[in-house]
Amino acid sequence: MSKEFSYLNLNKSASYSYVGKNLKRVDMLDKVTGRGKYIDDLKFSNMLYAKLIRSTEAHARIINIDTSEAEKLPGVKAIITAKDVPSIKYGLSPARYDENIFCTDTVKYYGDKIGAIAAIDEETVYKALKLIKVEYEVLPAVFTPAEAAKEGAPQIFEEYPGNVNTEIHLEFGDVEKGRQEAYHIRTDRLSGQRTLHGFIEPHCTIAYWKGKRVHVQSTHQSVHYLQHHIARIFDMKEGDVRVTLPYVGGGFGGKVDISGTDVAAVALSKITGQPVKVFFDLEEVWLNGRGRHGMDMKYTTGVTKEGKIVFVEAEVILDGGAYSGLGVATSYYTGSLLNVLYDFDNYKFDAYRYVTNLPPCGAQRGHGQPHPRYAFESHLDHIAEDLGMDPIDIRIVNARKANTVTPNGYEVKSYYLKEANELARDVSGWKEKKGKLPKGRGIGVGNGGFVTGAGFCMYRTDLPHSIGMIKIYDDGTHAIVYTQAVDIGQGSDTVLVQMAAEAMGFPYEDITICTRDSDLATLDYGAYASRQTLMAGWAVKRAGEDIKKKILIQAAEMLKVKEDGGYRSGKLMPEELDCKEGYVFVKQEPAVNISFAEVARAYFVKHGVLVGRGYYHPGKLGGSHKGAAVGTSPAYSSATQIAEVEVDMETGETKVVGTWDVHDSGCVVNPQLLHGQVHGAFSMGIGETIWEKVVFDEKGKLLNGNFAEYRMPTALDMPHVESLVLDTFEPNGPWGVKEVGEGATTPTLGCVANAVYDAIGVRVTDLPLTPESIWRGIKEAEKAKEKEGK
Amino acid sequence: MYLPDFEYFSPDSVEEACQLLSKYGSKAKAIAGGTDVLVKMKSDLLAPEVLIGLGQLSPLKKIEYVPGKGVVIGSGVTHNEVRDSKVIQEKYMSVSQAAHHMANNQVRNRGTIGGNISNAVPSADMPPILISLGATATIVGTKGERTLPLEDVFAGPNVTVLEQDEIITEFVIPDGNFTGSTYMKFGLRASGALAVVGVAAAVQVEDGVIKDARIVLGAVSPTPVRAKKAESFLKDKQASEELFAEAGVIASGECKPISDIRASAEYRKDMVRVFTKRALDAAVNKGHV
Repeated sequence: MSKEFSYLNLNKSASYSYVGKNLKRVDMLDKVTGRGKYIDDLKFSNMLYAKLIRSTEAHARIINIDTSEAEKLPGVKAIITAKDVPSIKYGLSPARYDENIFCTDTVKYYGDKIGAIAAIDEETVYKALKLIKVEYEVLPAVFTPAEAAKEGAPQIFEEYPGNVNTEIHLEFGDVEKGRQEAYHIRTDRLSGQRTLHGFIEPHCTIAYWKGKRVHVQSTHQSVHYLQHHIARIFDMKEGDVRVTLPYVGGGFGGKVDISGTDVAAVALSKITGQPVKVFFDLEEVWLNGRGRHGMDMKYTTGVTKEGKIVFVEAEVILDGGAYSGLGVATSYYTGSLLNVLYDFDNYKFDAYRYVTNLPPCGAQRGHGQPHPRYAFESHLDHIAEDLGMDPIDIRIVNARKANTVTPNGYEVKSYYLKEANELARDVSGWKEKKGKLPKGRGIGVGNGGFVTGAGFCMYRTDLPHSIGMIKIYDDGTHAIVYTQAVDIGQGSDTVLVQMAAEAMGFPYEDITICTRDSDLATLDYGAYASRQTLMAGWAVKRAGEDIKKKILIQAAEMLKVKEDGGYRSGKLMPEELDCKEGYVFVKQEPAVNISFAEVARAYFVKHGVLVGRGYYHPGKLGGSHKGAAVGTSPAYSSATQIAEVEVDMETGETKVVGTWDVHDSGCVVNPQLLHGQVHGAFSMGIGETIWEKVVFDEKGKLLNGNFAEYRMPTALDMPHVESLVLDTFEPNGPWGVKEVGEGATTPTLGCVANAVYDAIGVRVTDLPLTPESIWRGIKEAEKAKEKEGK
Repeated sequence: MYLPDFEYFSPDSVEEACQLLSKYGSKAKAIAGGTDVLVKMKSDLLAPEVLIGLGQLSPLKKIEYVPGKGVVIGSGVTHNEVRDSKVIQEKYMSVSQAAHHMANNQVRNRGTIGGNISNAVPSADMPPILISLGATATIVGTKGERTLPLEDVFAGPNVTVLEQDEIITEFVIPDGNFTGSTYMKFGLRASGALAVVGVAAAVQVEDGVIKDARIVLGAVSPTPVRAKKAESFLKDKQASEELFAEAGVIASGECKPISDIRASAEYRKDMVRVFTKRALDAAVNKGHV
């Protein structure tokens, strides 16, 4: 780029030793050499292999399960069903625990869990599965919210009359007043499809018992929630459940729920007395579900002549699938962050989440946000068009500003959405392109953002959100950082080590991180809601500062300024010292210094182990209305994305030819990792806009549980991504950090869809925008035009 | 997913392979790269008790030009070998390109051209271009050898005219007068996607007049089909964009596509129109591409 752009420069990151640097990932060699262990690499002597017995009906009463033939197969060690396991219900939303380990009476979707088989090897398990005979009384099923809502529709759960699992009615400000003030009012309806995370490591759990304690190794995004729920389900003390996670091969929200592999492994291991590995095939990842909800969204918005929003009425209908999982939170998230993004007072939000006889939906990168963002960003473009405004201008007019409070009670500290829009506009060449591109080529904008960690634990507790601990080796040359923060590939281990190094003033390369182990590491809720860098970051920073404090006290006793010519004489005080990159020095006279290691060793000799402790709790956040907790956060990121597309007007095929992202992400600890997140977000978001959709047949059977027919973009489908950051500062974050991982996915669907609209002049309202749906949209518009002509 | 139990034979010659196929009859299945057979076995769609490996038979691995005969491609050649072959690239870049756009790199490295044809999937990428260039298939069984035009090998989805004891040993693209050819694959992603529609065109153009044209449609009928009405419409006409567009409309009426999770029949029909037009344009104006 030859042009100069004005960045917000709110950080003094240049003076940091490790924060803000593109340091090598701490897990790099493990991962590129294959030395690092994922769960499928783990083997234990005497380990049994197990799989789930799954329903082959979408909705049915179980009459009989005949396991006799399977039991006769040599090598089969245990076959368990509902009668063999605790009957307690579990889930992630405490008000809606509605899932059993195995179905007790009815199966609720094709693929639902009926039981599990453990055998001496994988082959025997597969053979045994074929010998299980389940007799069903088939019940009528519902596959869409519309079917579920019909009068007289089959009821899936007694506790959800009318199949309504979650219902939300919120109003802030005065919508009627807004309606009176509006110069222009417009309604748009759009829909988003069911999608799935697309991580490449299927769920798998290995469990084994040692006396009263069980050790659970799993593919999970949270050590703590898995430990908490296993203890609850099996009526144990949390201290008797040890959870460790090997390297995790991606999560994106799909490994937050307690998986069938977790509960089945614990139960089977208890019964057999042997280590048991329960594993999914790729198709079972689809059956386990927990991906993005299908949603129908309706927005009515009133604006002034200048485009300022005066009210919004939102209605979102969610296809929840069979169980709640995280779906209650998803439902609230579909509405709760809209007025973090745009500043308006009058807001009515209604949502209905229906249960259906399909795999359950839950959280997927951007939790509950990308579809509503897609719909609202499309809606906003139409409003701008109606007013004759540039789409970026209407966004700038409505962009929230820093240090404001939303009508639903969220305090927003740093927020630079306006600047993100301006920079994105300038770097993408928007002004030269918008409205000036030939037919079939278009440019579109979308805004988004996310919470930086949820303000509340998923269950009621007064525990802190994150605890950090750092231990220095006896000789002072190495540090271990302890935290249950979970690196699922996003790089949290690396940035936490960078932060520990910065806080202590200790070399990055001499730090090891001990994570993902409930026995060894310290409490953290794990990787969800984009919380690790800020929340675990605070805990680690404070632990590091605790170490540094102790080091400086010790060093003050050891350092001496020169008697003659020094900046002053006499005994040094700790406040006069600093420590950076492994050396303690006198701030006024850096030539007087001593190595961290020497000081730490002296400390050890005198006091014993040198340990730093850090604690983080965000405090009480948010408003007091029902559901106010969902959306609270110490900090909110914002982002503007722009996409340029080329649509083949004959085939409807869309090629994304350029993408730009400008992120208001606070201080960036590791820019390279941030850009990786943005690239990944574009890949996921473009995939969800153009290709991806989970498809079922008319009986609820999954049709595309594989990466051939569930088409995610390949490298060849990806455009060039230009990722830029506004160097902003968040007062509620350590060193001013905010999130990027999920927020970067939220604008993508809207910006690509708006670019397609710009290219073809027709709004295709249902995702994904496949070649055929665009082709159909163009044809229908041509037909309508012909009619008009006549 | 796991493979069911089976017995495996590794014959040393084509004759032995045919004898084994004859001996085990319907219980046996020939296997080369395994990119179709093994996947189907894992998905319970196929359960042969005996697999007869053809992958090690060197006579099936050749690619050569035989003067007076044409380009000979052994059935055991992988798609990447077809793509990279200098012989094929010099004569028919269109065949090399068709192999290049098939599936993904892993499958192209394992999967053979003989397997792609014998598997007889309607959306297969190699049949349309080979049929358009008039290729023949040499078929060997215990009772001897026969040669068929490739288009006569297919009998329906996943069905060929091969007898139980027969295998295809080679394909021959005979020397001809085609001045250009191409295969246009329309899949729903840049890589790793099956063709929603595939159109191959081969043309003989002299002084701007189309002397001969062959149009072969994939993924829109139970077998690859020639758009014969469109072909004869083109004959002896001056090449032009309008002409290609008209031929596209005619070809679109000659296919019988189905609706499935990838596309509707209606859409596929229209894509035949679009890609016939584009394929003719490329073959006429750019040669073998």
